[in-house]
Amino acid sequence: MKRYLIIQLARFGDLIQTKRLVKSLLSRKGSEVHLCVDHSLAALARIVYPETKVHSIAAHGKENSGHVLKEVLQDNISSFQTLREQSFSEVFNLNFSPINFRVAGLFSDLPVHGYSWENGQEKIDTWPAMAMRWSRYRRLGINLMDFWAGYCPDMISPPTVNPEATPKGGGIGVVLSGRESRRSLPVETLARIVTTKASSMKAPAIYLLGSTTEADVGKKVVKSLPRHLQDKTVNLAGKTDWKGLVEIVADLNLLITPDTGTMHLAAHLGTPTLAFFLSSAWCFETGPYGIGHTVYQADTSCLPCLESEPCPYDVKCLNCFNEPEFQRFLVTEKAAHAPDNLLTFNSSFDELGLVFESTPDEDSYAGDRKIFRSIIHQFLTGQNVHASEAETPFIRKLYLDKDWSTLVPFGTIMG
Amino acid sequence: MKQLRILVVLPLYGGSLPIGRYVATALAQEGHLVEVFEAPEFNGAYNALSDLKVTTDRLSYLQNSFLNVISQSILAKVDTFEPDMVLALAQAPLNQQALKRLRRDGVTTAMWFVEDYKLFTYWKAFAPLYDIFAVIQQQPFIDELKNIGQPNGLYLPLAAQPDFHKPISLTSTEQRKFGSTISFMGAGYPNRRIAFRKLVNHDFKIWGTEWDGDHVLEPLVQLNGARVSPEECVKIFNATKINLNLHSSVQAQNLVTGGDFINPRTFELAACGAFQLVDKRSLMDEAFNDDELATFNSMDELLERIDYFKDNPDEREHYASKARKRVLEDHTYQSRMRTLLQFAEQVMEGWPQRKNADTVLSDLPEHLASEVTALTDRLGLPRDVAFKDLVWAVRQQQGALSELDTAILFLDEWKKLYSN
Repeated sequence: MKRYLIIQLARFGDLIQTKRLVKSLLSRKGSEVHLCVDHSLAALARIVYPETKVHSIAAHGKENSGHVLKEVLQDNISSFQTLREQSFSEVFNLNFSPINFRVAGLFSDLPVHGYSWENGQEKIDTWPAMAMRWSRYRRLGINLMDFWAGYCPDMISPPTVNPEATPKGGGIGVVLSGRESRRSLPVETLARIVTTKASSMKAPAIYLLGSTTEADVGKKVVKSLPRHLQDKTVNLAGKTDWKGLVEIVADLNLLITPDTGTMHLAAHLGTPTLAFFLSSAWCFETGPYGIGHTVYQADTSCLPCLESEPCPYDVKCLNCFNEPEFQRFLVTEKAAHAPDNLLTFNSSFDELGLVFESTPDEDSYAGDRKIFRSIIHQFLTGQNVHASEAETPFIRKLYLDKDWSTLVPFGTIMG
Repeated sequence: MKQLRILVVLPLYGGSLPIGRYVATALAQEGHLVEVFEAPEFNGAYNALSDLKVTTDRLSYLQNSFLNVISQSILAKVDTFEPDMVLALAQAPLNQQALKRLRRDGVTTAMWFVEDYKLFTYWKAFAPLYDIFAVIQQQPFIDELKNIGQPNGLYLPLAAQPDFHKPISLTSTEQRKFGSTISFMGAGYPNRRIAFRKLVNHDFKIWGTEWDGDHVLEPLVQLNGARVSPEECVKIFNATKINLNLHSSVQAQNLVTGGDFINPRTFELAACGAFQLVDKRSLMDEAFNDDELATFNSMDELLERIDYFKDNPDEREHYASKARKRVLEDHTYQSRMRTLLQFAEQVMEGWPQRKNADTVLSDLPEHLASEVTALTDRLGLPRDVAFKDLVWAVRQQQGALSELDTAILFLDEWKKLYSN
């Protein structure tokens, strides 16, 4: 039996986006998959990945006062001991974070994919190192779910990851905001969209979803809705645990959401999402995985930006969602009614994984994206290897001198 | 002095390399946290450039570029280790650009220039770029340093490393191999080549390199003139009745030069409890008393004293034991490092920087405290070690880490991620 450990110490959405990797490893004969996550996500991990064994450590925090540090130290010694005792065959360490490098120190005598630790030195595999190089091609992109699955040369086919999204009959869910505030829609904008969609879909119920910190935002959204919708709206912000959230989302007709963990949860459950991507959110990187999802992607020339840097343009990418014609467009979905600087994308698959197709065909990056994704697919699988002049500009950015001198052949680095 | 973090930068090769290693050991024995930049590991690649058979300008460019990579590696090490001091040994591959960067960044640097300033004049380019420049000679060198903007010249003579340079028991085979009535261990400098011709009729062994081409001495040269390891040196010192110690000179007119600095062999022989006949140096009087070292001032005196001491084992033992006692008291690398660091404290304002007291390791639950204590003991750290220093020591370990090691490294990064 082969026992695999996946270390995923990032947030809610990242945990769900690890699914293709988890399922790829589970599909190997005689495999056992373990997940290491932050304590706060252990319960969710057990719900989403019941076939895995979940371990948790103290990875996330808010303050580092003396007593907290001692608790973290004590807590993690015990957790690390448990991890060491599992006799793993291979480790997949997914996050480019100093704490991930340190955890990898436990497994220096094992194959560690991703981010490893060798005799005090942090090391990065070629695959994630290449991903850093293509950060300049964010508009082309590869979905994070597919990127993490890329550690497995035998990754499962994209359509088998999540069920095709279909309405479940339980009304509309509305995610109030994501972790990054600039990616989220303001209360008034969100209320207008909810009003339009709920009315056109004749939604029997509206569930506002979020954490405790978003409860007040939820109240404001309710107040901004027409009276008849207020009556059927339930503000669940801060009132659901993971199990409750899964139950609600699994039963929805549609989830209206920015780029959030709940959006990925909906995709996991086969619940259709209507996602609003702006600012640093770019659907080719983190869009909802599966068939049956729609993304309204803001498309100003400055996108996608970095959330950590202030916006010098007064968040102009938000404007398309506030244009009067946008409400009409939400109902008719006719291209003629679409506001400027907005692209409508529907989820689809190619040989590498998730892509989005614009309707109508207005995505000016589609040609370059196809070439780029073909290069990545060739690199990962060694299949359909060919060369063309069109690849050259990308190839020169993706392959560095040291790759030529030190890289091992296709497949062997990922296996 | 409180525990410091010190990065010792070794040279690529050469005589100052073993001294650098003794320095690192001594600093650790003094309780400091020491990181060593292993420049010798780059030496093979550097030498490979010399075999390219290319034009000299290309070769020069490549060598400079390679040395720049090494300098950048040292800077990266400094950025990560955050030392209180970078201590470089003579010929350490820190280029001028890197030294300027360290000064700009407020990193305290010291050079122990364990060379003869009259022969290795490249110190003029580098001395002003170090904060402290320790040397093995006194005036006028200290004033010359001041003249070019290096006010912190420090006379710091060489020394011995007592846990290495020590009396040892030899097997009969080792005694036969390494022993003789008279021996000399060192390179074949011109003054030695001429001087030793007068000793060919004795039971005399010559050890070391650069003796080739001398038909008179060739039969006496051991191991075909191969390099002798520091471990073998100690065996030779211990196995020999009279260890000759003639300081080197590049000229052969005056064989016993009466120069100033004392070579490392003087201290090493003494620490081994081995008897030596050493040429008198002008700086010797402040390091040893007359009854601690048997010296000579001329070749005639050397020959006379050999005749005397070879048949007087008690006299040899008398000098040897006194010299050893003196070295253990005053001339160890540990004592040199104490002197250097105290000097730095005097001349460098605000050095070392005060560190914020951390409380991570205080008031731990009993079982965890005992685990941490066992770890600090294993790593040779004081039990009140600062958390940052513990983290670095844990990081130096090889192979897979224990859960405690990992939790400590993890917590260090966690603290930075969630700093208030």
